[in-house]
Amino acid sequence: MTSSVEEIIMTSALSAEEPADSGFAPWQPPTMSAQLRRMLSFQNISALYLFVLLFVAFSLWVPSTFLSSGVWRALLSGQAVTCLVAVGLVPSLAAGVFDLAVGSEVGLGAILAAWALASAHANVPVAVATALLAGAVVGVCNWFLIVGLRIQSFIATLGVSSVLLAMISWVSDGQQIVNLPHSFASLGTGQFLGLQWPVYVLAGVALAIWYVLECTPTGRRVYATGADLDAARLAGVRTSRIILLCTVVCAVVAALAGLLESAQLATGDPTIGPGYALPAISAALFGSTQFRNGRMNVWGTVVASYVLATGVKGLQLAGLPLWIPDLFNGVALLVAVAMARYQNSPSSRLAGIGRLFARTRGSGVND
Amino acid sequence: MSQAPRPQRPVLLRVRHLSKSFPGLKALDDVNLEVRSGEIVAVVGHNGSGKSTLTKILAGLYEPDPGALIQIGGPGEPVAQGRRRLHVIHQDLGIIDVLSAVENMGLCKSPLRPTWFARGTTERDRAAQLIGRFGGVFDPTVPVGTLSAAERAIIAIARAMDGWDRGDNILVLDEPTTAFHGDEVEVLFRSVRKVAEAGAGVVLISHRLDEVLGLSDRVVALRDGRVVADQSVDTLDYDALVGLIAGRSLEAVERGSVSGAGAPIMNIEGVAGQRVRNLSMRLRAGEIVGVSGVLGSGREELASLIFGARRRTKGRVLIGDAEVTPNDIRAAIANGLAFLPPDRRRGGGVMDLSVRENLTLPMMSPLRRRLGRLDRRAERAETERWAATVALRPPDPERPLKLLSGGNQQKVLLARWLRTKPRVLLLDEPTQGVDVGAKAAIYELIIAAARQGAGVLVCSSDAEELVALCDRVLVLDQGEVRSELSRESLTQAGLAGEVVGFDGSSSACVDVRMEAAQ
Repeated sequence: MTSSVEEIIMTSALSAEEPADSGFAPWQPPTMSAQLRRMLSFQNISALYLFVLLFVAFSLWVPSTFLSSGVWRALLSGQAVTCLVAVGLVPSLAAGVFDLAVGSEVGLGAILAAWALASAHANVPVAVATALLAGAVVGVCNWFLIVGLRIQSFIATLGVSSVLLAMISWVSDGQQIVNLPHSFASLGTGQFLGLQWPVYVLAGVALAIWYVLECTPTGRRVYATGADLDAARLAGVRTSRIILLCTVVCAVVAALAGLLESAQLATGDPTIGPGYALPAISAALFGSTQFRNGRMNVWGTVVASYVLATGVKGLQLAGLPLWIPDLFNGVALLVAVAMARYQNSPSSRLAGIGRLFARTRGSGVND
Repeated sequence: MSQAPRPQRPVLLRVRHLSKSFPGLKALDDVNLEVRSGEIVAVVGHNGSGKSTLTKILAGLYEPDPGALIQIGGPGEPVAQGRRRLHVIHQDLGIIDVLSAVENMGLCKSPLRPTWFARGTTERDRAAQLIGRFGGVFDPTVPVGTLSAAERAIIAIARAMDGWDRGDNILVLDEPTTAFHGDEVEVLFRSVRKVAEAGAGVVLISHRLDEVLGLSDRVVALRDGRVVADQSVDTLDYDALVGLIAGRSLEAVERGSVSGAGAPIMNIEGVAGQRVRNLSMRLRAGEIVGVSGVLGSGREELASLIFGARRRTKGRVLIGDAEVTPNDIRAAIANGLAFLPPDRRRGGGVMDLSVRENLTLPMMSPLRRRLGRLDRRAERAETERWAATVALRPPDPERPLKLLSGGNQQKVLLARWLRTKPRVLLLDEPTQGVDVGAKAAIYELIIAAARQGAGVLVCSSDAEELVALCDRVLVLDQGEVRSELSRESLTQAGLAGEVVGFDGSSSACVDVRMEAAQ
């Protein structure tokens, strides 16, 4: 029928004369140079410009340490776990679900893997499966709270986060679980081409999530769900399933990151989880301002995560106090979110600011 | 109502040499406009002709290009001062869904008045009375979000006129009636005329030409940012007005010969929802059936009920011989149903996604390749084809939907559903807030779909639309089919009479509304 409807319309007098009569300048696709300019604009790749800035600054400040290859290898490997958490968060944020429990999910994965190995004397595959399964269960719980009970995702995951912290304490008795087998530790510290395994895990997970989000119909439905739940539902998207998929992926990837962290430390530490939430959320939100014009995306998140880590690393090497990384991450988060807001609706933002000024001058608009 | 311009009355609003440029677009080009006290001036034009830009400049949201003169109120009065006398009701009403009508109406009051002391019954009664003046009969203390579009519009209008301390202010109505039904429009317009008689100047921006002809004294037509006509309404009739807007006389929509006698394609048996009660009907292939009725009659619910967008409490929907699983949108689409929701911004389209992504959202399976990959190139090519088919402007597949004009958004959303090759097309207010040119294009698409064998159900508050399109029209009342008009007996006047007909139980309801309007 498609072609026939097209034929009928194309041959009708109305649309045949419309373009000539409408008085609109004919629309031209953007030229190559305009596209290139847009691609290289600060707005599109601010993280890369920031990286260049940080790189030059620290190269001049602490050249002896900052420019050594060992530091960069350590940075790539050490940041892989945080970056993995951020990448796992991307589908969830794209679907409009804010998972604040992501830090506790990391902690749960870390402690459960360690507990299975040390206390339950399981072998490594079983321990890994236990952690991932626990992540999946947490993901389903999040989904049930958000979709089934219609609790806002912020609130629901905040509650879950606290419950998970309690479970972590309960499992570990508040103690570190030490003496993990060497075969498990090698998951985190084993090297290939000078980089630790978690870097390759990150690459694999990022590639898979990127593929699903940007190259498949499922990914399109995720973005539609996040942008307008009702409109997506009316277009036939099963939004409930999409949200289930995203909450489960987020929690499972977080648990995976947790068990890799346990392997890197060769210790199950009940306190590491919450520290991952802020850097991961910062990276994902900062990442959304990169490349895709305000849309959550995997590669933007990876780049943002490593740029933030470069900043933190440089500040550490320069010997600045311990509180600097927290400050850096927090400010980066706020700036990133403000930028994303601005990208989404620059004109209405400016209009809003304009109205504000008009009002303070006592010449408000009555409407 | 339609006196000739009264030169002796003072000018309240004077606009001279107003231009507004956006990057790559001149939205307004040397516009002159004058509104006198007691005068109702209609501003008409295509979507994208500059009407909204003009409104926003008047409201102070945009700065005009240098060289423009805008004078509100008496000569010599500063613009900032004069703006306080200009009341704009925007298309999106500017009311807050989670607040009640009482609270919404309190938002605009002077902050010096301590309204929190006056909370309670007095304020509520005042709000109810004010709303009643505009024909609203609903509880002003419930959140506005739970009310219908027409009731929300009434609140916005009541709010603008609340605390009107002097007669000669200016009221700008930007598409106020898009969600109204005939009788409600009349109630509102009686109030607008009263306001004008008290000495105010009214600027009405509307797509509905019958309203423009019925209400205004003078018509200013914009085309591509320029004023192409500024004349008394007495010198205009409907066709002349269409000609001014479109820049040419629009041929009456060629309805063509639809057999109407295709095989039965959809059978609805006793469906019920919130408003609809036990409704049954049949639809044949190639048939266009209209659904009319006042707000609350079930007209605004029927299409979404069939599709599954709203919860169906009982009844069956059969497509061919197969029953559609109730309240399951995927099943409805798989069975060949397509539903165009009434409000593009609330559930119609995903505004942040591009034209391409919106077009393919309901049906991506033909574009799936190995490993579940979505074929971008094929998708883009298909989008470009559909953009040409529906004469989308600009035909840019990557543009976010929110950056298109209303008419073009609607074209994308209709194309989205035509692309799924529906057996039954359910349309709810298909041309709401759409300009004349796009309207004709949308009608062409609907008729083409019917000619291809789709059954079409058009739920609309626009009698003219139903008369132009439909083979027969069902008139709903209190959730049931009250009467059916066949094509032969279908006229605008007849339909309007049938919709608000005074008989039996329904007259009581209308009486209440009329009383409230006094």
